[in-house]
Amino acid sequence: MKQLRNHANSAAALLIAVLFALLLRDPVWIDVAVVIGIQALIALSVGLSFGQAGLLSLAQAPFAAIGAYATGIISVHYGGSPLAGLAGAIMLPALLGYLLARLVIRLEPLAVALATLSLAAIVEVVIRSWDSVTGGYVGLSGISPLAWAASPREYFWLVLLVIVIVIALYENLLASRFGRALNTLRHDRARAMADGVPVVAVSSAAFGLSAAFAGVAGWLYAHYVSYVGPGDLGTHLSISVVLMAVIGGASYVLGPVVGAIVLGVLMRMLPAQELQGLFYGGTLILILLVARDGLLGIAEPWFARALRAIVPQPARVAPEDERRT
Amino acid sequence: MSKGLQAIGMHKRFGGVHALDDAAISVEPGRVTGLIGRNGSGKTTLFNCITGFIVPDSGSVTVDGRDITGAGPQTIVKAGLSRTFQTPREDARSTVRDAVLCGCYVQSSASFLGALTGLPGARREERRIGLRADALLERFGLAAQAEAPVGTLSMGLVRLVEVARAIASGARYLLLDEPAAGLSAAEQDILSAQIRALASSGVGVLLVEHNFSLVLSMCDRITVLEFGKVLSEGAPEQVARDPGVIEAYLGAIERGDTGSTQ
Repeated sequence: MKQLRNHANSAAALLIAVLFALLLRDPVWIDVAVVIGIQALIALSVGLSFGQAGLLSLAQAPFAAIGAYATGIISVHYGGSPLAGLAGAIMLPALLGYLLARLVIRLEPLAVALATLSLAAIVEVVIRSWDSVTGGYVGLSGISPLAWAASPREYFWLVLLVIVIVIALYENLLASRFGRALNTLRHDRARAMADGVPVVAVSSAAFGLSAAFAGVAGWLYAHYVSYVGPGDLGTHLSISVVLMAVIGGASYVLGPVVGAIVLGVLMRMLPAQELQGLFYGGTLILILLVARDGLLGIAEPWFARALRAIVPQPARVAPEDERRT
Repeated sequence: MSKGLQAIGMHKRFGGVHALDDAAISVEPGRVTGLIGRNGSGKTTLFNCITGFIVPDSGSVTVDGRDITGAGPQTIVKAGLSRTFQTPREDARSTVRDAVLCGCYVQSSASFLGALTGLPGARREERRIGLRADALLERFGLAAQAEAPVGTLSMGLVRLVEVARAIASGARYLLLDEPAAGLSAAEQDILSAQIRALASSGVGVLLVEHNFSLVLSMCDRITVLEFGKVLSEGAPEQVARDPGVIEAYLGAIERGDTGSTQ
């Protein structure tokens, strides 16, 4: 029972995923949904690194690019299976993220953000100039599709499945001593040190995990499009996913997913591409002004009231007034 | 001589300021030791050097015979030493139970990957420290507030949460940095009763305080610091009669120019 309560978010995500999968029939929207799902995964990685650990990263899209190129290179150059590619797409970003965090975590938050931006620049340069491996400006094409998720509809199911698994892992972590330590050190590092938390090691592990989430999104992207190019998963996307996480509510597990869906759908409905930047900026300012905790921050009290109305509250707190206060 | 917490020959300079100049203190298990001194006498520096938040220039700190000089806070917490903060650093939005669970960090041995994948071992650890936190809440009279956000509590209860969080690590020595600051007399009474109870259960307590009367009533031993040196050390009655202490510390209170809270 306790386990179910810990996994309220993944249960909700599963429910929404099944509903979506059953209702979505239009092939255009299925394609949109796959792309939004992949972006939601990268936004979830922002939720973990920024929302929980307080580390603003502008390298989440490059981490996804590393995942995409890892599986692309294994598939195109070595004819390796997508599962081998998946291992690379998880390990490589995780390792790089962990090492970067280990180096810079002691710095001021702004310096950490700039360090991730530098990493993003380095990754992009390497991708563009290492022709023989990454295909340089041309990119890598001919990445093998997944045999067991060949149609867009099946692929959509796969993306949903991955999202639900990632959310379940994320929730496991939050319900553990590491999740509490991350929340403490985001709030106040000295407080976490006094609890005996090895601050650098725990933040670096969380950052590595967040990079791995992004890497999996890159893996999904590469096998969906069967091509990956140097401009596909760049800094523009890094900023978009931060916006998605913040707008949905970065500290809520499902916040980044909500943000990805809301922004993704609105983007498709906007008439002109040029308006996107204006729209992004305007939405962010609006959210920061009216709801620091994002859309889920607005929804939470309302949701809690609704829940109380539906489910009769069990007497959780035992006799109250016999204790001194 | 191996039992107890000892800091000897502690030196620390900040630029031209000799904050600690051969300071020393010892805390015995089951006793409450007071560390007093005027503002700038080096109490907080000594406190931070012992708990690993500042690395001393020289000196040695041992816990039950184990040398922890210059170690990081996480090593020191594992060695059985926990601290609280002068200004509580609790997250106002976290629940009381979560705050105490945070203090259980070193009590759990769940690995990162184990926690992530929800392995049975990690879940077992989680249940175990859950029970530990509940027992502590019960012991400190906080069970009714378990699910309340820390921000909604009175200062007196927040201090109790801090103490419960510190002792949750399994600490054998508890270092409290001005725990009574900002508390009403009634709240101070509850806090001192809890601290005395901790000492009776075998915990060695080091109390850094401004409030001389509270220290006199609560402590078994008192160390007085002045200009980074030990001015006096001994039983409360003895220290209170020490002419040097009366001149340097109590005299100042009578003139009304210390930062004393009561």
